[in-house]
Amino acid sequence: MAGFRLLALTAVLLPTLLADPVPAAPPPDGLEFFEKKIRPVLARKCYACHSAASKPLRGRMSLDNREGMRRGGASGVPAIVPEKANEGVLLPAIRHTGHLKMPPGEKLPPEVIADFEAWIKMGAPDPRDGKAAPLPAVYDFEKARRHWAYQPVKDLPPPAVRDPQWSANGIDRYIKSKLDEKGLTPAGLASKRALLRRVTFDLTGLPPTPAEMQAFLADTSEGAYEKLIDRLLGSQAYGEKWGRHWLDVVRYADTAGCNSDFPVPDAWRYRNWVIQAFRNDKPYLEFLREQLAGDVLPYKDDEDRQAKLVATSYIALSRRFASNKTEHHLTIDDTIDNVGKAMLGLTVSCARCHDHKFDAIPQTDYFGWYGIFDSTVYTFPGVETFPRPHDYVALRGAADQKRIDDWETRLRGVHQDIRFLRFGEGRFRPTAREELKKLNAEALSIEIAPPDVPKAYAVKEGIGRNARMHYKGDPRIQGEEAPRGWLTVLGGGTIAEEIGSGRRQLADWITDPKNPLTARVMVNRIWQWHFGKGLVPTPNDFGVRGEAPSHPELLDWLAARFAESNYSVKAMHKLMLTSRAYRLASAHIAANAEKDPNNTYLWRANRRRLQAEEIRDAMLAVSGQLDPTPGGAHPFPKLHEWTYTQHRQFFARYDHNQRSVYLMQQRLRKHPLLELFDAADPNASTAARSESVTALQALALTNSEFVHQQADALAVRVGMAHSDTPSRLQHAHRLALGRPATPLEIAQGTQYLLSAKLALKDSPLPDEQKPRAALASYLRALLSSDEFFFVD
Amino acid sequence: MWTRREMVRSMVAGSAVLPAILQHCFADTGDALAPRAPHFEPKAKRMIFLFSSGGVSHVDTFDPKPALIAAAKAGKKAPNNRPYLAPFWEFKSESDCGTEVSDLFPWIRKSMDDICLIRSMRGDHNDHAQATLGVHTGSVTFARPSIGSWVSYGLGTENRNLPSFVVLAPALPYSGAQVWSSDFLPGAHAGTLVTPGADPVPNLARRAPTADLQKLELGLLDRFNKKHQIARPGDPRLAARIKSFETAFGMQMEMPEVLDLSKESDATLELYGLERGSTKGFAWQCLVARRLAERGVRFIELIDVGASNNWDAHGNMKTHEPLAKNIDRAIYGLLRDLKGRGMLSDTLVVWSSEFGRSPWPDSPEGRNHHVNVYSTWMAGAGVKPGIAYGSSDEMGAKVGENEVHVHDFHATILHLLGFDHTRLTFRHAGRDFRLTDVHGHVVQPILA
Repeated sequence: MAGFRLLALTAVLLPTLLADPVPAAPPPDGLEFFEKKIRPVLARKCYACHSAASKPLRGRMSLDNREGMRRGGASGVPAIVPEKANEGVLLPAIRHTGHLKMPPGEKLPPEVIADFEAWIKMGAPDPRDGKAAPLPAVYDFEKARRHWAYQPVKDLPPPAVRDPQWSANGIDRYIKSKLDEKGLTPAGLASKRALLRRVTFDLTGLPPTPAEMQAFLADTSEGAYEKLIDRLLGSQAYGEKWGRHWLDVVRYADTAGCNSDFPVPDAWRYRNWVIQAFRNDKPYLEFLREQLAGDVLPYKDDEDRQAKLVATSYIALSRRFASNKTEHHLTIDDTIDNVGKAMLGLTVSCARCHDHKFDAIPQTDYFGWYGIFDSTVYTFPGVETFPRPHDYVALRGAADQKRIDDWETRLRGVHQDIRFLRFGEGRFRPTAREELKKLNAEALSIEIAPPDVPKAYAVKEGIGRNARMHYKGDPRIQGEEAPRGWLTVLGGGTIAEEIGSGRRQLADWITDPKNPLTARVMVNRIWQWHFGKGLVPTPNDFGVRGEAPSHPELLDWLAARFAESNYSVKAMHKLMLTSRAYRLASAHIAANAEKDPNNTYLWRANRRRLQAEEIRDAMLAVSGQLDPTPGGAHPFPKLHEWTYTQHRQFFARYDHNQRSVYLMQQRLRKHPLLELFDAADPNASTAARSESVTALQALALTNSEFVHQQADALAVRVGMAHSDTPSRLQHAHRLALGRPATPLEIAQGTQYLLSAKLALKDSPLPDEQKPRAALASYLRALLSSDEFFFVD
Repeated sequence: MWTRREMVRSMVAGSAVLPAILQHCFADTGDALAPRAPHFEPKAKRMIFLFSSGGVSHVDTFDPKPALIAAAKAGKKAPNNRPYLAPFWEFKSESDCGTEVSDLFPWIRKSMDDICLIRSMRGDHNDHAQATLGVHTGSVTFARPSIGSWVSYGLGTENRNLPSFVVLAPALPYSGAQVWSSDFLPGAHAGTLVTPGADPVPNLARRAPTADLQKLELGLLDRFNKKHQIARPGDPRLAARIKSFETAFGMQMEMPEVLDLSKESDATLELYGLERGSTKGFAWQCLVARRLAERGVRFIELIDVGASNNWDAHGNMKTHEPLAKNIDRAIYGLLRDLKGRGMLSDTLVVWSSEFGRSPWPDSPEGRNHHVNVYSTWMAGAGVKPGIAYGSSDEMGAKVGENEVHVHDFHATILHLLGFDHTRLTFRHAGRDFRLTDVHGHVVQPILA
């Protein structure tokens, strides 16, 4: 805990407190008091655990010498502060008023406690010289840097393998050599049908259409598969699918997450920026830089500038807390947590309350980042007690910004007056009611006419300054200043006072090509989103508590290729998708399953369930109801209608038939269908979706309005296209499953429709609608089936 | 109408492979809800958690403070310079143990011989949303799994036709669905919200036009899935998914039966103070809770009111009266009923609010939030009945003796359910998380 010297235990800072560690000579009667009243109690009640003889020395707190008592133990907080009875941990501990209660299991008599208080107030005279037990060194950074993830990326040639023909590219040589080493036989290649369905869902989140299937099967040319990949990578749907992956990681939501869950009407701009960035294959390092510091980066033209401002919504979209403005430190913590996990695969935020217990991240490093974001102004979304937003960022320049600022200032003023009259001293004025009425009318007149200029929920530079550390994460108890800077374990570095918040420097450090984590973390994510599991199975944690990579050399080789392509995500897709490993069948091989049941070494493809959005989007696509138009802003209530409190939280659903990524996503409540199928929790970074199987999912598939609507629409779609049952069934199978129905399936399906009509005899449906209802019933089963739900 | 048993039989008859494969596969990881043994022999097999939203005043309910009355009368001021506000109701005892309870809870007062009252609770946050999360998840800031999800994760479920964690609530509480979220635990452990009224569980009611058609349809789906599965051995998820439709159908049949109180006797309804045919109020929730408990549901939470018009009596303490009336008789009925059926010995019943209310006013007749000390209670399996543990100071402002922090409260509940709270963990984002974070001590003196 070196570096953290607590200045004061109370909310007030007393910076001079530790200025003079040498005690003035105590009055002799003070020493006598110590010998009579204090030392015997310490010896009898405390020394067992807190003296040189104690093994272990609890909390590294020595109470058998003066230095130990005044320095404190591992927490860095003194046991006593001479003359200050309300500081130090000893008095609260023996009074049993805090978490720490001493001595364990008993309470000292009140008169003894009073003696301690009196002794501290007289300056805590203490003749015991002795040395406090040394505090453990925080970290051995040299040793810590030996952890694999902090080592530089090694670009070695892929290993030689026995049958080079097996390998389509370098990836395969790594995979095959590991398979050979483990005695595992790889599965054969997936069928063309299976491969098309797999790669289409992986890149676009949608099923291939029957026409696409036919074209791919018919194309026997050598480059057919690469051509297919290029087509998919060029689609709008690709951006929507891969944008969604990133939105999981950055816990995107359209609401703030405070107790009232205020709407964030401009969040969508960031969502679309992410989708567009993937579509345009924005180099990954640039992608990160713009999110961290787009507002302070040079720009080409006005469009570029606007996009860069929107990118910084990434920071503003950090979660908000509580019902007032007192908990912004938690929002900053959420930013740090996300930057650490998303960009570096490090749990930096674990070092908020104490030095990181596993990784070499001291609390000073955490507060080095804290200062950066504390020097940044986040757009404020509104919260129960300050229900109107401010610090919006104009997209089109100074004139617009002035209009926004003026409007916000006026609104803020009126709301301040309203608060004064409602909750402050003003409520006692006899004219309060009248004044309030007038002010409310004035607020309304401002709110209904916000400046009609495009704006972003983003960040601005604040005053650049270092933050003081928070004792155990509590901002009321502040310690030493922590210089803004970079993680020590990754080389360290500080930010000069005069250059603003330091976000740009942070972005430079994170995107430094020599930083061993950034590229590794991203190629591992891309790998996970294609292969079902990362080479590092803990994509948000590359620290010592994360899992080690199954193929460390491959991970490095990929990171090196990523750098080589100037961090092109699309090039990385192509590299991975053209590997043989990606194209393997998902076949079961009993002998392999014995040795490697989790398919760690990739002897086959991992079968995967469709993700929540894919389930909804695929049903809409198959039924013909999907609206491919990209989404824009949500129809949130107008500002003057915002009366949200924790008692009446904002809650809305804006359903449409566009892709699920465009559904309005709240932090406190989730879309009922998507939530059931493990959609990302927008309160925290989601590195990997889970795949739960629950009865509530089955109920939704059997009984929900949505599934019934899609099955009915599909019945109408195939019913309109064909006049006979076999053709209708055939069409539906091709749409939903990407394959024709077998003759047996046609026969059984035809039989089913007859039975279904019989089963409808007691239904009030008119007879002419029964065939449609029977077909819809068949299609519900089809759309709920495992074949539809899983990708081989 | 098809019964569940007929249904299952017809599905199984559709193919001979089902039972053996299922048995085999369910030993595997596909089944998050398989019954599991806790760390040691538990006292409680299940828990009913009664949660009152808004902050129930301890000094007006379970924690008599004569000194507070005197101080208020004498016009004394608290250290924060607020005057003291005397309790609004009289206290007395109507039980052998002698524990005094106010006139707000005349029925629960008669049950104090079965109750272990805790008068020294303390939490971490003075705001509703955070404190509500704290009581449910152990964290007042970050999203974490609910206590019910932890219990489901630890124990699995005994009845596959019902969820392992059910929440009965007429309206959303503070923090919304986060209160019963499974967060990073597998989704199967999330609480299932059951609301009184026409549509108690979403998608529970059959939407297929006839029951016969639904049966046919599920049979068809089952055939699709089995054909698909046979070609893909070694994947427990496929078997789990086949099973999930059977369970869903079981739930579609069994849940309405649980919620159908028509076969309950007049005497039982009377005990809870429930009018026949009514689904209103806490009495309905309590009776349904007993029925869920009988059917093997592990964790049943009842939330009395939502995030508004609740116990948050800033303006007028008298608003506690109708709220108390709503839960008082019903809770008494629940405890008596469980006891009469021999279920109180292995069911843990716990009552709490997110915090208490201040001994000083927030307005002339109302009190503010107060998290520094408040009262909760436990009853049933494994807890000492008829005691009052811990105390507040003489004004009810701070903990007097034997503080029970929310983390201690959780540690004790988990202990009663058979868990060492430090070992019920889940690896997430690089570390082992637990309900009690890095805190919590089992409150040994209240264990029977």
